[in-house]
Amino acid sequence: MYKVILIDDEPLARQLIASHLQSYDTVEVVAQCGDGFEGFKAIQQHTPDLIFLDIQMPRLNGFEMLELLDTRPSVIFTTAFDEYALKAFEAHAVDYLLKPVIKERFDKAMDKWMRTAPAKQNEGLAPLLENNIYEGYQHRVVVKDNGLIRIIPAQDIYYIEADDDYVRIVTKAGSYLKKSTLSHIEQTLDPQQFVRVHRSYLVPVNQLMRIEPYEKESHIALLHCGAKVTVSKTGMTKLKGLLGW
Amino acid sequence: MLVILAMHYFILSTLFDLPRDITIYDSVFSTVILTFSIWGIILLVRAYPTIVAITVYALFVALFVSSVTVFAQYEVLKLWLHEPAYEQYRTWLSSTLPVRFLAVWIFCTWVGTISAFRKNLAALDSRFQQQVDASALLKEAELFKLRQQLQPHFLYNSLNSINALIMIAPGRAQEMIGKLSDFLRSSVKRESDDMIPIADELSYIRSYLAIESVRFGDRLQVLFQQQDTDHASVPPFLLQPLLENAIKFGLYGNTGAVQIAVNIAMNGGMLQLSITNPYDPDMQPPRGTGFGLKGVQRRLYLLYARNDLLETHKDGSIFTTILKIPQQYVQSNTDRR
Repeated sequence: MYKVILIDDEPLARQLIASHLQSYDTVEVVAQCGDGFEGFKAIQQHTPDLIFLDIQMPRLNGFEMLELLDTRPSVIFTTAFDEYALKAFEAHAVDYLLKPVIKERFDKAMDKWMRTAPAKQNEGLAPLLENNIYEGYQHRVVVKDNGLIRIIPAQDIYYIEADDDYVRIVTKAGSYLKKSTLSHIEQTLDPQQFVRVHRSYLVPVNQLMRIEPYEKESHIALLHCGAKVTVSKTGMTKLKGLLGW
Repeated sequence: MLVILAMHYFILSTLFDLPRDITIYDSVFSTVILTFSIWGIILLVRAYPTIVAITVYALFVALFVSSVTVFAQYEVLKLWLHEPAYEQYRTWLSSTLPVRFLAVWIFCTWVGTISAFRKNLAALDSRFQQQVDASALLKEAELFKLRQQLQPHFLYNSLNSINALIMIAPGRAQEMIGKLSDFLRSSVKRESDDMIPIADELSYIRSYLAIESVRFGDRLQVLFQQQDTDHASVPPFLLQPLLENAIKFGLYGNTGAVQIAVNIAMNGGMLQLSITNPYDPDMQPPRGTGFGLKGVQRRLYLLYARNDLLETHKDGSIFTTILKIPQQYVQSNTDRR
């Protein structure tokens, strides 16, 4: 039996998928969730083989939920009309269903998944999440903190530092590790507010207090929170361009 | 030119008492030459490619042209009346040169400046007209686009709900199709209207809400409070994006039931519609919510050229949107007096 979870904030949309799935004997719907938080919990609890995921949902959207998962199930996105997302799905060969979800198209997607499901191939998902496929910028970063989901508003961030496979997000409430890359975080946040001053640092402009020359070709920036971060030559150029020095 | 000719003749004959033949020659030659000069000035000013300091330019042209004119007049008259009999006239002619020059120069300057101003005005006028046309076109296109953008997401989601209902509850599916058709019909029908009665807009809103409550089930509750505003009118399609916004904001920030209140009242010549919805201040607004408010703001600006007709307030966990629609009522104003 394959375990399936349906995540969509519209009850009827979930019921539709559930009834489409009735003709599949080898599939069992183990949970139905109305938002990303519930979805996250249910996925950790049931470790499903496949999820049907809506993107726009209360509290935590579909992409944010996926970002937080360490091991991701196969995903079939269900979406109403989202040009940007569609382009990204196609580019990464991640499957999606357009609403209204018609049985014929649904069966095709299931067929395709059934063929690859045993191997649990999900190659396109990681690079898909790496791209900022939302037009516009996020004003928050979502992290896991001792199994809890924490939403950090962008204005609370002191700075973000690369740390191996993780990024360390330093805020007034403490610092959080998130499995991601600095480039990805940089893409999702507003470039008018966050500047990649160094290969390893992403800094909010309003945190900058003073910049002093350091070694040859590099500077050091003092932040309002008291931290010091290195500013590379290209970082300095970006800062100059942004602040109009 | 005939007036000038007459004036010239009159001045020469009465003030200077010159013989008739001399007066005629002098005035005819002078006027003919002056005519050519004026023509030259007008051509020059028209051909001048830029409008920068064109009046100054006209002054200089006039100065140059009048010098040439007076010189030409002097030479021609001297040549024409070269016999010794006219010796006295020629002396007199040389002595009047400064006066002639001054008169011609003033006249040339006047003509030059006037034609320069005319040219400037014509240029300004055509540019103004162009801008008026462009902004009218832009306005139309923008209004059309703003109306169009409201629909697709909502439509696809509604169809998905109907799709589900067909399998689960066919009777309710039919009901939903009816509601959706009502909504679409009134959207299409009112596309071109400028102002519609508030009652029409509210029935449109109700058909919209009927669909939304099928989609979101018990989670969505909308309360209407309406004072006596039946005579008021509103531009179509302004209220729906605001409600859509309130619903999204409310539903995406909460997982439980969401209550949205709509209050409609008159407030000093304005119809005031306020919409309140709960929201979670820590949450990022869902995508697409910005569009609703911005679109409405833009439409209000295009319709009324005002930016103060839409306000939003955040108060704890309540988000309030206030929309004001100026009411042009000639009727009730006179009634009150």
